[in-house]
Amino acid sequence: MTIADGLLLGLQAALQPTILLYCFIGVFLGTLIGVLPGIGALAAISLLLPVTYHMDAATSIVMLAGVYYGAEYGGSTASILLNLPGTPSNAVTCLDGHPMAKQGRAGVALFMTTIASFVGGAIGILALIVFAPYITAIGLEFGPAEYFSMMVLGLVAASTLASGSPAKGLAMVALGLLLGTAGTDVNSGVTRFDFGIPELSDGINLVALAMGLFGIAEVISSITRTRDAKSAEKITLRSMMPNKQDIRASAMPILRGSGVGGFFGALPGTGASIAAFMSYALEKKIAKDPSRFGKGAIEGIAAPEAANNAAVQCAFIPTLTLGIPGSATMAIMLGALIIHGIQPGPMLVVEQPALFWGLIVSFCFGNIMLMVLNIPLIGLWVSILRIPYHVLYPAVLVFISLGVYSVHNNASDILMVGVIGLLGYGMHILRFEAAPLLLGFVLGPLMEENLRRALLMSYGDLSTFVTHPISAWILAASALILLWSLWNVLRRFAQRRAANGI
Amino acid sequence: MKSKDIRDIIGGFALVAIGLFAALHAQRYDIGELQEMGPGYFPIALGILLMILGLFVSIPAFFREGTSIKIEWKSLIWVLISISIFALALTKAGLIVATVLSVIAASIPSKSSWKTRLILAVCIALLTYVVFSFGLGMILPIWPWSH
Repeated sequence: MTIADGLLLGLQAALQPTILLYCFIGVFLGTLIGVLPGIGALAAISLLLPVTYHMDAATSIVMLAGVYYGAEYGGSTASILLNLPGTPSNAVTCLDGHPMAKQGRAGVALFMTTIASFVGGAIGILALIVFAPYITAIGLEFGPAEYFSMMVLGLVAASTLASGSPAKGLAMVALGLLLGTAGTDVNSGVTRFDFGIPELSDGINLVALAMGLFGIAEVISSITRTRDAKSAEKITLRSMMPNKQDIRASAMPILRGSGVGGFFGALPGTGASIAAFMSYALEKKIAKDPSRFGKGAIEGIAAPEAANNAAVQCAFIPTLTLGIPGSATMAIMLGALIIHGIQPGPMLVVEQPALFWGLIVSFCFGNIMLMVLNIPLIGLWVSILRIPYHVLYPAVLVFISLGVYSVHNNASDILMVGVIGLLGYGMHILRFEAAPLLLGFVLGPLMEENLRRALLMSYGDLSTFVTHPISAWILAASALILLWSLWNVLRRFAQRRAANGI
Repeated sequence: MKSKDIRDIIGGFALVAIGLFAALHAQRYDIGELQEMGPGYFPIALGILLMILGLFVSIPAFFREGTSIKIEWKSLIWVLISISIFALALTKAGLIVATVLSVIAASIPSKSSWKTRLILAVCIALLTYVVFSFGLGMILPIWPWSH
């Protein structure tokens, strides 16, 4: 099937009224939760996951994906107006976006971030269309050894590149993998780590884990944090119009940001946050006058906003074509597909082309809808930012509890989310990151399965992972990332010693 | 102000403890061999890995300074109470009562007045009814007597 055939097929699938409606609901909710600081795409998608049980697979994945990329649009609004990132990947946008708002240029900043998001999203979709068929072709050659190595790469990248301390990140991955083993072992039928509690024989509920670690823990740590809600001023369409110089200064950063974002998005284990951070660092490095950054430089908002949207779209490449999620949010999305009886991977693209291409075409429609939602309707989101947190969070707690309950209609799952929330708050206090844990949790069963199968096929010979050339290259890349992060740790240690004058 | 990095010391040792527990607990499952792994192999290997990583986290922390830990006890306890109330009350007393009680408990750590708390609780109860029961068609007990 050529790309043109695929797009035509996708257009037919995506133009159905129900798909368009759920695409709109997805991007609308995505923008909403993106605008609200403290609720990210991950929590929103896990909250909506039980809702999608009653829907068919294509509609639910179109909606959940819409939440994911819609959140990247909405996230910059709070960054610019309140100096609070709407989602973690919009954190860098605060650096120059909020100074622009203080200079009375909030409208221009909101306009340019939307344009940057749109261009980044479009380039990301283009990359997805162009590269996905190739990666699918490679994926068809993958055996268990290659899958195992690919997951190692994803987990190593997620744990070392994303967090400050590689040891803590790796430990969270290991803990996630371990939690993933709880429940019935598919190979032997033995129930592991159930401690005699019948609810645990199906394993830990993914929705409860995600909501506890991200939703509950975030609520507990945010209640007493006061917010500066006054600064959310009214934005008129007139004040949003950028001048010629703004457009000229943003054009190249948007393109560079899209490139950086696409790369980090497609790489398993790294996602929108790293992409946004890296593109900001790149712009600062190549700028003629780096001192302008942090004081309202328009490049500083255009590049990362393009990068995080390109990253979000390209994150679908490994998830759909290989079945390996690149980030914790994508891991939830993968879980959603599996719940609907769809196993992502190369066979998905080959056997269900209407679903695959329909999803891609829905991204195009979704991004166009987001342009409309974020430029003419910006006033709506600004007024939502005025809702105080103490009104919001009790509702969030009730919604989390009901969302978790609806998975199995089981009230003890709500208690489980409380216990996991306690664990999540403990991790928050001790500064352990939850995202690598969640990624490990989802990949755990897949990883164990492929490890066992690879070793069964090689008669217990561990060298199977390096004698398969693709697997060897992937493992070499993982080793390189590990060595690089180790080198960084040692360098920081040496610098600290030098600074202390020892 | 020469305190050790207490976060990573506690966190690292907690990881060692979890790893040790997992590795010991998984002994009861068949370990198998490399060629044919039993259900115990992967968890035991992960438990050992977790212990090693825990040491990597905690040992360097003895040699550097850290900041003190601040725990929002009030928020933590009331949020957990709110969730527990909801879990226990939902099937017994129905959605409306569970939501009202849970919202009131959750709003105690914030600076709202009792009047706001009550209004908020009623509004959220109505909202959850409209969204989940009416809008999404979820089968939920609404009132204490609707069984």
